[in-house]
Amino acid sequence: MRLFRQDPHALSGVYALDALDSGRELNRFNRHLNRCQSCAGEVRGFREVATAMAFAASMDPPPEMRAQVMAAVARTRQLPPEIRTHARPRRTRAWAPWVPWLSGAVAAVAIVVAVLFGFAQAHTQSELNQARAQNQALALDKARIAAELDQARAHDQALAAILGAPHVTLLSQRTTKGGVAVVVLDAAKRQLIVATSGLPALPSGQVYQLWLIGPVRIVSAGLLPAAKSGVTSPVVATGIVKGDKLGLTVEPAPGTAQPTTTPILALPLPV
Amino acid sequence: MNPSDSDASRFRSASTDRRGERDLDDLLVHVARGDQVAFEAVYDRMVGPVYGVIRRVLRDPSQSEEVTQEVLLEVWRAAARFDPAMGGAATWVMTIAHRRAIDRIRSTTAAAERERKSADVGPPHDQVAEAVEASLDRERVRRCLGSLTEIQRESITLAYYGGHSYRQVAELLNVTLGAIKTRIRDGLIRMRDCLGVSS
Repeated sequence: MRLFRQDPHALSGVYALDALDSGRELNRFNRHLNRCQSCAGEVRGFREVATAMAFAASMDPPPEMRAQVMAAVARTRQLPPEIRTHARPRRTRAWAPWVPWLSGAVAAVAIVVAVLFGFAQAHTQSELNQARAQNQALALDKARIAAELDQARAHDQALAAILGAPHVTLLSQRTTKGGVAVVVLDAAKRQLIVATSGLPALPSGQVYQLWLIGPVRIVSAGLLPAAKSGVTSPVVATGIVKGDKLGLTVEPAPGTAQPTTTPILALPLPV
Repeated sequence: MNPSDSDASRFRSASTDRRGERDLDDLLVHVARGDQVAFEAVYDRMVGPVYGVIRRVLRDPSQSEEVTQEVLLEVWRAAARFDPAMGGAATWVMTIAHRRAIDRIRSTTAAAERERKSADVGPPHDQVAEAVEASLDRERVRRCLGSLTEIQRESITLAYYGGHSYRQVAELLNVTLGAIKTRIRDGLIRMRDCLGVSS
């Protein structure tokens, strides 16, 4: 990769055509883009060339697709408008310092994961009971998370789609303030569900806010709902890009456009 | 809130450039506010190129239909995240579409399936020829692709239409990685100038 290091600029065309080989290369080029205004402009131009090529390859899909998509649209909730920041170098530095030490921290609470997994895969109640017996206190949280997921699954198609996806990854991590976040990641669809348990209660006027912390920018993934008996109901986050971490910060209500405090969680998302 | 019929006629009568690009930006703003009528107009405008590219990359019709639907639904969901400063709406949609198609083929099962099916498909030249039939867009793109050197043209079409990584392109064309990077970039610069894309 010596060539790449010497001249990342030359990869702008490859990048614009989505033809980089690995996530590592992609991350590296994204970092470069962040610092290189002319590259960003060049990539934009190349993407427009690609768009012209797409129009040239235009093809009619089966006509029934229109009704199917419209039906899906009618029952699909849209992402809230979010203020996105196209990260400038200054902003990169602002969050860079805490990224390294957080990325290594993987305090997976295996048993919660096992139960969530069991739940996602519609395992039997007996397994839940067995797990519960192993740790009474933890089991209480697990059961609550499971119950919340159950409830949400009945009501939320997006959630059901992720839990029913063929290849989900289960991740969990303790926050630096205690408590645990559990994530069901559908890498193929670049979306996840996150639920938490045991986070300290916040004084009024403060909220827990989720973030997708990427190599290029940080995007809000919404607020954690208020906890019921210490457990927050699942939140769906979508639009994950390679290199994103799931972050959690304490922010002034009703949330902020960009994080203003040090994350208490930064969970790498393998997509 | 329910979109009204007058919205529909407004979108239909709105003036557009040849690809309807400017108008599409406006439509997406309405889509971001939950306007399903505006989304129908976006669908009609974009489904052809979206499906065309995905089909070209994935080849398998049913997988292509599935990914096309995912992409269009993503356009609906994420419309609020469209940022005109980063390029036109059509480019935003096509970036999502191409990435999704690439994601699909880079997953191993899909790759195996694709290998199997690719046996039926001719060499890259045929794919290009197939891509560039009549219509102004096709004519324009064909003319500009024609202005490239053969290796530039093949690198770009193998990467974009073929969904190959540049490493795979290098192997297919039996040239070095460094050469492929340069050829793709030089070719795209030439295409950009030929198509009159402002950058």
